[in-house]
Formats: sequence, structure tokens, C-alpha cells
Amino acid sequence: MEFMINFPILAVISLFLGAFVTSLAGRRSETARNAVVLISMATSLILVLCLIKPVLIDGEIITYWLGNWQPVEGWAFGISLQVDALSLFFALIVTVAVFVSGVYSFSYMKHDDSLVNFYTLFLMLSGSVLGLVLSGDLFNIFVMIEIMTFTAVALTAFRNNYEGALEGAFKYLIVGALGSTSVLVGVAMIYSQLHTLNLAQIAALLPSHMNPVTVAAFGFLFVGFGTKAFLFPFQPLAADAHAVAPASISLMISGVLTKCGVYGIVRLCYALYQNMDQPFVQYLVTGVGAVSMFICVTMAFNQHNFKRLLAFHSISQVGYVITVAGMGTMLGLSAGLYHAMNHTIFKGLLFLTAGAVQHATGTLDLDEMGGLSKKMPKTTILFLIGAASISGLPPFNGFASKWMIYQAAFERAADGNIFFLVAAVAALITSVLTLASFIKVAQSVFFGQLPESMKDVKEVDQGMCIPMWIMAALCVITGLFPAQIQQWLLVPAAKAAMNAAAYIDAAMGNGYAAANGIAASSAAAPAFIGSWNPVTWLLLLLSVTIAVCLVAVLGNPNPKTTEVAEETEGDDKFESFFSGEKAVFSQVGGSDLFWGFKHNWRKYFSFMHDWHSGVVNDYALYGAAAIAVVLALCVIFL
Amino acid sequence: MIQKLIDKSMSKSPWIFHINAGSCNGCDIELVSVLTPRYDAERLGFRLTGTPRQADIVVVSGPITLQTRDRLVRTLAQVPEPFCVVSLGSCPRSGNVFKGSYAIDGPLEKYVHVDVSVGGCTPKPEAVVAALAKAAEILAEKRKEMRK
Amino acid sequence: MTQFLMTAFHVLVFPGALFCVVIGILLAGIDRKLVARMQNRVGPPLLQPLYDVLKCWGKETIVPRHARRGLFLYAPLVGFAALITTALFIPVLSYTAYSTGGDLVVILYLLTLASVTMMVGAAASGSPFAGVGLSREMVAMISYELPFVLVLLAVGKVAGEGSALGCTFSLQTIVNWQAANGSILFHWSMIPAAIAMLMVIPCEIGMHPFDVAEAETEICEGMLAEYSGAPLAVFKLSHCVKMYVMTALFCAMFLGGLSTGIVVLDVLLVIVLCTVVTFVSMTVPHAVCARLKVEQVFKFYWTVVAGLAAISAILVWFGL
Repeated sequence: MEFMINFPILAVISLFLGAFVTSLAGRRSETARNAVVLISMATSLILVLCLIKPVLIDGEIITYWLGNWQPVEGWAFGISLQVDALSLFFALIVTVAVFVSGVYSFSYMKHDDSLVNFYTLFLMLSGSVLGLVLSGDLFNIFVMIEIMTFTAVALTAFRNNYEGALEGAFKYLIVGALGSTSVLVGVAMIYSQLHTLNLAQIAALLPSHMNPVTVAAFGFLFVGFGTKAFLFPFQPLAADAHAVAPASISLMISGVLTKCGVYGIVRLCYALYQNMDQPFVQYLVTGVGAVSMFICVTMAFNQHNFKRLLAFHSISQVGYVITVAGMGTMLGLSAGLYHAMNHTIFKGLLFLTAGAVQHATGTLDLDEMGGLSKKMPKTTILFLIGAASISGLPPFNGFASKWMIYQAAFERAADGNIFFLVAAVAALITSVLTLASFIKVAQSVFFGQLPESMKDVKEVDQGMCIPMWIMAALCVITGLFPAQIQQWLLVPAAKAAMNAAAYIDAAMGNGYAAANGIAASSAAAPAFIGSWNPVTWLLLLLSVTIAVCLVAVLGNPNPKTTEVAEETEGDDKFESFFSGEKAVFSQVGGSDLFWGFKHNWRKYFSFMHDWHSGVVNDYALYGAAAIAVVLALCVIFL
Repeated sequence: MIQKLIDKSMSKSPWIFHINAGSCNGCDIELVSVLTPRYDAERLGFRLTGTPRQADIVVVSGPITLQTRDRLVRTLAQVPEPFCVVSLGSCPRSGNVFKGSYAIDGPLEKYVHVDVSVGGCTPKPEAVVAALAKAAEILAEKRKEMRK
Repeated sequence: MTQFLMTAFHVLVFPGALFCVVIGILLAGIDRKLVARMQNRVGPPLLQPLYDVLKCWGKETIVPRHARRGLFLYAPLVGFAALITTALFIPVLSYTAYSTGGDLVVILYLLTLASVTMMVGAAASGSPFAGVGLSREMVAMISYELPFVLVLLAVGKVAGEGSALGCTFSLQTIVNWQAANGSILFHWSMIPAAIAMLMVIPCEIGMHPFDVAEAETEICEGMLAEYSGAPLAVFKLSHCVKMYVMTALFCAMFLGGLSTGIVVLDVLLVIVLCTVVTFVSMTVPHAVCARLKVEQVFKFYWTVVAGLAAISAILVWFGL
């Protein structure tokens, strides 16, 4: 399969080429524009899918040298794309998310103007993200991060008639640039020490070149990738950007861009520095993850805006991924990757339902909505599936990956390490709090009473429903077959991440790793306490069926069962009980819920409220402080 | 057989919903005393419930003032079949000392069929318990009738 | 075929639907009777919960105008099924129907699922009282979840010593460990966890001092404000089954060492133990305490109860 080595570059190029063709051809006809977008997305998806066989199943590592500039005498001068199982895992996430988001955009963005610009930027964003995860070159990773950040900023501000759109984009621009700069500084420092930019060669040389400069470079790169994943303390930024971006772009930012940060951190710690076995790195990564996870879920409690709330949850879920990836074990990493994949799916679904609600009602304010389940039954069901997944209810995918996360945490905690025990308890509590805030959304948006102003709301059309159904189906499928997913996707990807020697040898020629003292990894497949077995779910289904059947067969013993019909309008019997008063509109929802919880935490919440000031100067300051703190810690402990 | 069991449990677990239609609070206090350890209506399965949707016996006290009339009618409409109505004290039956007042729009019979009526101002708890027990029997009868 | 019959037997009879319902109703009846006796009353007959359920079943079902019909009617059934499924994973001392090797996490989330279906049903009824009720139920859930998780961790650690990971989540293993080493309740470091678990049970079930979500006098039955007829009967039945599930979980986690090895005797023993646990954890607080306010519930669980559970967890983690 010689020609396969061209697939990675073609997958990236098809997206970038699509961007240029869209801007040229798209101005003439709408059909041509959509066709170009669809074709380029589908091409890259198919090309990436073709790589599954050699990379994930046969375990090959595909290296493509641009212009065929192969390494000479052990020095890699050329630019390379290197696809191992980890890269391909993320590439799969990216291309599927891009495809769904693009298809959704066709109907969702129909009423906006200057759509040629939208799709051009969208495809450039997609191409840069795909390029980032497939790249084998540190400087190209930086370039892709830059393209990604600036297209994402432009897309965030795309609906600039929205209040806060330009503001959100501006904050994203400033703090995003801070992160990109941080990456650039890290790249420059590494280049100054090692005189190479090839990831494989860096990985080979770094462990023997640990000096203050490379240690500082670690700090810069870590903070840089952390910014891209919006980890603590960059989470306020995500909220501002998500709330105003179009829903399909929110899906991209939350499902795909944050994954780039995760990919960067995993690659950095596992492959480049190979320092994931050091306690300091574990505490740093897990600590940052756990703090993001917890703070963001509590912040989500106070949100009035549907997408802002989702944005905070997005960071909270990425926090899970980082927490567990920081455990440094095979089980931990595969759990993290599983959750990263599931997060893209369920959070994508939730953002799309938010987009559908916005499309139908024109608002995202939780305090203004209510009772939409009567008008938008399909969206309600889809939202409930997404909410159940993110809260980790069986049988959906969130449960399967959280299960693995707990296992990984307990595995580390079992040898008496209280730090990981606290992380595990934080993860469990975060899960309940996540559930709580989705109950809040369900009650505020979909249940309760329909406001007068939303009487004419209609269900969204098929073009928007189909991508949501795809995501919902993926939620169920990835939840029901955890063993297969583990075998075919997670274990190869985690093994590839931990096996730096194979990664180096694939690029630099056999024996290069050994010559530099990098031993081949002997990480075995993770031992599981007992994986989630969908038999539980089947039993559940069985008993549900039986319960329903029993009721149906025995029938209602009461001969007179009245059910509501349209003609009950005005009949007191079917009005909500209102202590005898004439029922008036009264919707319990939005920020009124969970008073008992917020009351006890009022000091914490008021502190957090002040801390998320919304002033970009503050956020830049937090970013600078984060760089300073991480650098200091790295220099002291590494 | 299930139908028979349900008929039987109808009279064994009547839940009470109490509507105060302008009562002076005397009868209400007596109704509460029925549930205290001394009279213990729970031994017959009685239980106070907070919503008419779950009520089997609706207990109305007070002379039906103009202010409460609409609320009373609305709440009574929301009770699922079969249910009984018990009028507590003299007020809902006759208007008692308030009879003839411009603010009164009684008696209760005007709005709903009253199954059991307890007289007195205020009735003794023993009488209330007896009335509730009677209402529970009527409840089972009503259910049987409904089945036919 | 035998396999199928066995599964059907497990799901429908023992330890599934029939067993749960019967024991649950008995426990609820005993609880009400004992509360009455402690308050110097005669109390309702033992089978009162059964009468309540049957009566509700025989009443008219009203679907209010603001309700979402499908979810309103079928959410209770899903919750009931989730509880029955939970029961399948709880060993009756020496008898285990199903074990996944990670039952504790499954049980934790299935119990959550049962509560969530109740909340979804309540939300679907469209009543403002139900809205307030589900908000309170959620806060109660956040409250008890932290101590519950800590208790599970402590138990898993105690029973998992010597296993590959040093920590187990299989109830089967926990029961076996207790059969060999004596009940966890009698390990001094686990006594605070047992007390914490006894306090978690009433809140999980929504029993009296912690029944903020269904406060009938304040918020008109809260989540059940619009429910009548058959769905209400299912809710009442779920409540009874939940009593069995939680007390049986306590027995499996803390009293597994009392197993006699003979299934029939064990079943009888579990019934007795469940009654005792019901008395200690639910009846006594019910009879002597007034209902707490919702923010008091949260504070109580995150300080007192979580503190007790954390003491045990930390002691156990340091090998005491």
C-alpha cells in the first residue's frame, strides 16, 4: 500500500484547497459552494478513514516527507507529516466533527449573509486542525495553531450583529495570541538547543539534553497548549467565545479546538519529553485538569445563557480528560482518549441542540424560555440523550468513559496516594454537578410552561435534525460497545503515545532511538478492574419492556381514564394545580433553581463572579501569571 | 380479582385534601386533631395530601365566601374520579351564623354533590373520624358503580 | 433455554421485581407502623403501602395541559425498571444474581438514573410546584452524593486489600471478603462510614427529615404535584422498592459477614437485617425529627456526614 503515505497530506490539502475553491467558485452559486464544501469535507473524512486499516489495525506509522526531503545523516531538515495511532485517533475525531458541523451549517446558517467567507474560514479552520494533529514537525504545529486561532476568532465574530460577538472575539484574539506566543517561544527554545524541529528527532534528543532552557520550553509549550484547550485559568475566554459564535462553530471550538490542546499536551508529555513518569508532571497535569474540571462545573451553575453554560461544561469535560491523562498510566491515557472522543460527540450534540433552539426561538436566554418540548419534540429527545451522556448515565457513552476514568484514578490512588483519591472524588462530584446543571437546562428550556411569545415556534428542519441524529446515534453506539472501542481505538492510540521509540524510528530510520538511549516501550494493554458490560443495560431494557408490557396487558383497571386533548382548552380539570388560583404563566427555571446549593456556597460564587471580571486585561494577566507559575514550578521541580 | 382488590383498597387508603372556604379555623384545627396520636386517623389509612390530584376525599370547611368560591370550584374540578366530598361543620351546609351575609355564596351543595356532612360548630373529632370512615365506604361504592 | 428461564426468574421473581416489591412494601409498612408506635399511635395496617399503591392504580389518570404526555406517563416506568435492575446487582448475602466486577459504580449511576427519571417526569408535568420540587431533589442529591461516594471508596478499599488493584468495586468480592474476614461494620475504622451510610439512606429515599423534595405542606407534594392514578402508583411503588434496595445495599456492604451460606436462611436473614436498618436509619429520625430546610440538608451532608465518611476513607487508605 505504497500510495497510502500520500493520504495524510491529501486529507489536509483537500480542506485547504476547498477553502480556496469556495472563495472563488462560491460567489457564483449557492449550490456550487455547498457542493465544494461537502466534497472537500467528505474527501478528507474518507482519506482519514482509509488510514484506519494500516495505522490502527496493523500498527504502522506513516511518515510523509514533503518534497521527499528525507532525513540526511540523522538530521531531519524537511517538513514531515507523521501519522501514528494517536494522531489518527484525533484525526478521526476532527474529521467526523468537521463533517457533522459542516452539514449542520448548511441549514443552520441559511439566513446569514456573506456565507462564502464563512465556509472559507470554516474549511481553513478544519484544515489547520487536521494539519496540527497529523503534523510531524513542531514549527508546523505552531503555524497550524496560528491559522486555527485566527480563523476561530474570525468565525466567533462572524455574527457581529450579536451583542458581545466582537468583544468575545477580541478577548479570544488577545489571550489566544498569548498562548500562540507561548508556543512559539517554546519552539524557539527547543530549536536553539537541539537544532531540529522534527518531532521524532526532538523526542530522541530531548531526554539527553535536559537543561534549564528545555525545561523552560516545556513550561511554555504546556501553557501554550493549555490555552488552546482553555484550561484553568483560561476558561472565562471559552465562555465568552462560545456564547456568541454560531452553533456549528461552537461545536468546532469545543469539540475540535480543545482536542488540539489535549493532543498537544499528550504528545508533549508522553512522546517529546517522555517525563510522564515523573511525579511532578503528573501532579501538574492532573492538578490543572482537576481544578478546571471543578471550577468550570460550578461556574456553569450561574449561567443564564444556554451556550455559555455549555461552554463551561466543555472545559469541565476537557478537565476530566487532562486529569486522567495526567495519571501517566496506560489505563489513564486510554480513559482520557475515550472521554475526549465522547466529549466531542455529546458536546457536539448539545451545541447543535442549542443551535436548533436558537434557530427556532431566536434567543439563548434560559430565563426567557420554557415548555419547548411541546413545540420541538425531536430536539427535546436529542437534548435528553446528550444530557444523559454528559452526566454519565448508563447506557450512553459518558458512563462508559467515566467508568474508565474512575478506574484509572483508583488504580493510582490504590497505592496510598491521596492526591489521586481527591481527584477521583472531585470527578465523581463533578459528575453530579454536571447532571444538576443539565436538569436545570431541561427544566428551563424544554419543560415547564410555554411563554406566550413562543407560541409559534416550529421544529427545525431535516437538514439540522440529521446531523443531530448522527451524533445521538454515535452517543449510543460508543456507549454500547466499550470493549470494541477499547480494543480497536483506545489501546492502539495509547500504546502509540507511550511508545516514543517506535515513533522516532519510523521517521529517522531504525535504530535511531536506541542510539540516543530511548528504550522501546513495553507497555502492556491495561488491566481493567472489569469493564462496563452492556449486559446491565440489556437487563434494564428487558425489565423496562416487561414493566411496560405488564401495564399494557393488564390494562388500566380504571374504566374511566381521561387524557388531555386539544378540546380541553379552558377546562379547569386539566390546568396545572395552582393552589386553586387561576393558572397563570409561571415558569420555574433559569438561575432560580438550586438555591439551596448556591446559598451555602455564596461566598465561593461571589468570589468567582468577581474573578471572571470580563475584562480582557485581567484575562491576559491570568495568562501571564499562569506562564510565570508554571515556568517557576518547572524550573524548580523538573 | 385485581378489580376486587382495588375496590377493597379504595376504602382502605383514602387520602384527604382539605379546602378552607373561608372557615374560622375552628374546624380546621379539629381536622388536624383527628390525625394526632389521640384519634389517629392513620390507622384507617387516612393521610393528608398536598394536591387535589392525589385526593380521594375532599374536605371542605367554611361558608364558601365570594373570595374562595372560584378557587373551590377550580380545585374540585381537578380531583380525579372517583372521589367524595365531605362538608365539615355547619358552615358549608347552611352558612351558620354567616347566613345572609353579602359575602357568602353557599351552601356547598350548589357547587358539588356532598357525600357526607358533619354538623356542629365545631364538630367533635370523633364525629369527623366517623364521617371520614363513612366517606371511605362511599368511595368504594362509587368505584364499583364506575366499573359498571 | 435454561439460561433464558434463569434470567427471567432473576428479573421477574428473585431478586428482581416480585421480591423487591414484596419486601419493599413490607419494609414501608413496618416503617409506618413503627413510627406510629413510637408516637403512641395504633398506626396503619402493615399492608397499608400496598393499599395505597392499588388505590392509586384504580384512580383516574389526568394528564395536565402543560404536560409532555409521553415523558409524563413513561418516565416513572423507566425509573422503576432502573431500581429493579439495581436490585439485580445487590447480593442477597451469599446469593448473587449478576456481578460485573464494578457493581458499586453501576449501582451509583443506576440510582442516579432512577432519581433523574423522577425529575424528568416532574419537569414534564409542567407544574411550578414540580419545578421547585425537582430543584430541591437535585440539591438533596448533590448533598448525599459526596458522602455516598466516600463510603463506597472506603468499603472498596477495605475489601480490596490483596487484590490486583488494591481496591475493589465488586459487591460479590466485598461480600466474599466479609465472609472470610468478618463484617466490615465490625472493623473499628469503618464505623464512621457505616454511620454516614445510615444517614445517606433516608435522604436517598426521600424519607421524612430529608423529604424536602416532596414536602406536602410547603410545595404541594413537589415533584408529584400533578401526578394521579397509575403513574403515581408506580412512583409510590418505586419508593418502596428503593427502601429495599438501599437497605439491602447497606447489608451487602457492611453486614456481608453474617452470611450463613444457605440461600433460604440468607434471604430470611436479609429481610430481618433490612428491617433493622430501616428502623435505625429511617424510622427513628422520622419519628423524632422535623423536616429540615433544603440548605440545611446540604450543609448537614457536606459537613457532618461527609466528614464521618472522610474519616473512614482516610483511615482505611492509610491501612488502619
